[in-house]
Amino acid sequence: MSVAYTPVQWTRTKWLYDAVLAVAVIVYLWVFVTVGAAASAPTRPVDGAILNARALGSCAFFMLSAILAIGPLARFDRRFLPLLYNRRHFGVMTALVALGHAVFVLDWYFAFSPTPKLEALLSANTAVDRLIGFPFEWLGALALVILFVLAATSHDFWLSFLTPPVWKRLHGLIYLAYAAVVGHVALGALLSQTNPLFAMAVCVCAAGVAGLHLAAALGERAEAEAAGAWIAVPEAGAIAEGRARVVALPDGTRAAVFRHEGRLAAISHACAHQNGPLGEGRVIDGCVTCPWHGFQYRLEDGCSPAPFTEKVPTYRLRWREGRVEIAAEASPPGTPQEPIGAEAPA
Amino acid sequence: MAGEIWLWAGAAVAAAFLAFGIDRVEPNARGAYAFRPLLVPGILLLWPLVLWRWVAVARGAEDWRARHDPPRRMHGLAAGALAVLIPVLLVSALVLRPTLSSERAPVLLEPPAGASR
Repeated sequence: MSVAYTPVQWTRTKWLYDAVLAVAVIVYLWVFVTVGAAASAPTRPVDGAILNARALGSCAFFMLSAILAIGPLARFDRRFLPLLYNRRHFGVMTALVALGHAVFVLDWYFAFSPTPKLEALLSANTAVDRLIGFPFEWLGALALVILFVLAATSHDFWLSFLTPPVWKRLHGLIYLAYAAVVGHVALGALLSQTNPLFAMAVCVCAAGVAGLHLAAALGERAEAEAAGAWIAVPEAGAIAEGRARVVALPDGTRAAVFRHEGRLAAISHACAHQNGPLGEGRVIDGCVTCPWHGFQYRLEDGCSPAPFTEKVPTYRLRWREGRVEIAAEASPPGTPQEPIGAEAPA
Repeated sequence: MAGEIWLWAGAAVAAAFLAFGIDRVEPNARGAYAFRPLLVPGILLLWPLVLWRWVAVARGAEDWRARHDPPRRMHGLAAGALAVLIPVLLVSALVLRPTLSSERAPVLLEPPAGASR
């Protein structure tokens, strides 16, 4: 489990994931440039560099929308989980496509600028007091910087070194980047775009992402509000052997209640490695196995089997009035807990 | 100028951290060298964060609860902000969008009255 870092932890699935992504990006760019050149009016031809910039920019927007849609979709339907697990490669590729868009824009619109191109881009328009004519380039630059920070800190090392909560807060900047990108497109391309298909696609993608995240957040909030010091584990009797039910706790954390050999035990839903979803894993050789990287934890104390040293918090369970309840407060990582029977005591 | 100073400071932190610090604070990095160049861009950009974590790990001053407490509340705030901002931006752009000259119907210009053709 604890292994030395490599530049990229390739697996067959990741190769396939990246290959499909790369082919999809290339096909999109090719179609956009080919169709765009043919569709432009003979009296108003679009220059090749502008077409390339538009192709890369729209591609980056749709990629970012897809990245942000994967998270809530995976919460509603487990079939999206494989897309979630390899999402970081998707993000790095999006940053590179967005960089390509910026390079074409700078090299075309500011090719003969007496000041440095980037400086010219940021200083050419400073009319922040109006919506029509707002310097939408600033929003694009902000999004690009954020995408680069996220890509530069996407290696596993950063997650472990910064700790998963700090890393997740840093990567929460993706929401700011998306808002900036929508502003960049809305106040830039949408205002000068004559193709209603593009406007519709932008609106559907952006509204879809916002709607999915709102629905996921409201669902989680409703679960947490229904809790007290001890929280009922819904349908504990229906938990399949070797599987878990994830319970939202009042402090915003989540626990995973596993069934193993007719007994129930609960540990943190967040893996010590990368905060991977332990509750979506299963019990293998008596240990909960994280679906992301295979880190394992004993159910009775949340410790990895020797010689590994990782630990996760554990939770007390009890039977009350014919239902299983879990303590709202976690015990420190590695704290032994007595599993309870999966059937109600007589 | 400020950007250059920031990057030079980041380069100094990257050199020290990748040469000496990383092996002490990250067991999985011991003996692993090929991945280290990948960390340079991140350290250049976020070197104060790297210094903060370096000191915290070296002192052993970590709270286990914090490590297992993903910031889920942040998602609710972000979702709420996106749900407000995105419709406002899109509707504003579609409503305020000016009619482009290429979208106006062509008008046949008539010569002024009395002018000879």
